[in-house]
Amino acid sequence: MKLEELLHHTLAIHAPWRIVRVRNDLGKNQIDIWVSREAQRSGWFFAARSAVDQGRESVWRHINIGNARCLVHAVIPSAAESADLQWLGEDDQPFTRAFARQIASMFMQGVSFASVCALLDLPVADLWKFKHRLDSGKSGLSGSGSTPDANSAQVPAAGDPIWEDLLSGSLQLDIRILSLKLLLTKLREQFAMISDGEVRALKAHELQRYFTRHEKMLGHELAQLVRN
Amino acid sequence: MKTQQELMSVSRAAELIKAGKYLSIAGDEAALRQLPPGHWIGGTIPYFMAAGGGVVSREQVFVSVVSGFAAPPQLRFYDAGSLPQICRNAPDNGYSILIIPAFSATHAGFAQNAPNFEEMYMKPLIGWVAGVHLDDLGKVTPKVVLGSTGEFSESDAVVMDVPLPPEKFAQIDIVNLFRPGSGAAIRFENNGFSAGDCRIDGQAGNLADYLVDKQIDTRLPLVADYSGALINVSIRNIDRTARCVEFYAPVFAGIEYRVAAPVADYVAAFHNALPDGGTDITFSCNCILNFLHSQLEGKRTGEVTGPMTFGEIGYQLLNQTLVYLNVTE
Repeated sequence: MKLEELLHHTLAIHAPWRIVRVRNDLGKNQIDIWVSREAQRSGWFFAARSAVDQGRESVWRHINIGNARCLVHAVIPSAAESADLQWLGEDDQPFTRAFARQIASMFMQGVSFASVCALLDLPVADLWKFKHRLDSGKSGLSGSGSTPDANSAQVPAAGDPIWEDLLSGSLQLDIRILSLKLLLTKLREQFAMISDGEVRALKAHELQRYFTRHEKMLGHELAQLVRN
Repeated sequence: MKTQQELMSVSRAAELIKAGKYLSIAGDEAALRQLPPGHWIGGTIPYFMAAGGGVVSREQVFVSVVSGFAAPPQLRFYDAGSLPQICRNAPDNGYSILIIPAFSATHAGFAQNAPNFEEMYMKPLIGWVAGVHLDDLGKVTPKVVLGSTGEFSESDAVVMDVPLPPEKFAQIDIVNLFRPGSGAAIRFENNGFSAGDCRIDGQAGNLADYLVDKQIDTRLPLVADYSGALINVSIRNIDRTARCVEFYAPVFAGIEYRVAAPVADYVAAFHNALPDGGTDITFSCNCILNFLHSQLEGKRTGEVTGPMTFGEIGYQLLNQTLVYLNVTE
């Protein structure tokens, strides 16, 4: 099997669809591929491109290539043509069908939300959007697994209710750090719209991660947390 | 870390480049094109706050020397598609200087989406929006430069990622002289660079009508309170026929804005609001609207210098705000 065929096979991309372009410089540990209907040719690196698909290009996160993220760029074909394509996603979805199935199967195996993010190198925000789309018409995704919280002498654990108090606004802090002011405003807006307990816990985890990461410069804010 | 920011001649900047320094440079396009390749990024703008006061110069360039890094800074372009990766790609401990050409798709994308970029607010991101001399508006385009190749771009953003040693950390802060005024609370249904219909003190209304009816000075920005950080959105134009207001940065749904209270004496207020003298500023910039509206040419605004830009970046896009970065241990 040629390397090119191996990549097509691994990513579930079959004729008449082909990878017409590959870039590995758009993000750290990330491979971007462009898929199009195109005549057979010897290789994608040196052949001139002759895109035949017309329309707006969409981008989806696909199943990882080893430890690298894989992003698929393509124009969505007609409904009939796209029905069984696993490397394709829906117009308003962040993931390809294959990747969505992989995530769903991990949840079904009891892998926690945070662990899915860690194992698949997946941004919390993307999984959050995905879950909310599922919530609007499908079942929940609660898992029984757990992820260890970052250890810190000063910063409360991610499961501490103080984070949700901060996010709900029931606990107010005098904040001196610009990035925390901006982050907390964003998270509070999101938190106000979330009813799902697990997703609320994720937001708390995100805030706790910020505090852990910036502990050195958050003395003023952490002192207030400790007093509560 | 020593702060080294100053307005200088092209020949002096060229000497620093040839000496292998890592630099962030602001200047008129013609001046930047005279600089040799090297470890620098740049953006076009001819307005500066220099040590002696506000200056408009097409001949000189404003140079910020980057030093104290743990490893050589990385310089690269980002297009509109890859820019959302900027924070993820940034060093775990350090900071990034970003310059975006005004009026580009990269500018619009960053303005609207930066708060949702992966790892946003987790790693310090500072920078500015490149512009042009106001006499050249519509004639030439703002550009950024990747000094390592000498390539100019009017579409891509340029970034310098600066890794710091573990004992140091970078911190970004802002000086905003504007405070919310006593007028109505304004909320918008959608994010965007323009708005008409909105909620004014909870009632359905139109922002253009409100600003005209109240005879509001449109040099005053809308101000929102982000958990204690006052964030401006500057007014670009009122289209009375379309009953629409255009902004220099997007307004966001879910945020409450008020028109700013007037600032009687910008220079005096600025002096009072500046960080204390012990703050070691590595990088800073201010807004061209402050330069114009407050008539800062020839006037000093304390020790804080830098380019006067078409938009400031302190994580997200800001307007009429001084942004600065300091590195401490």
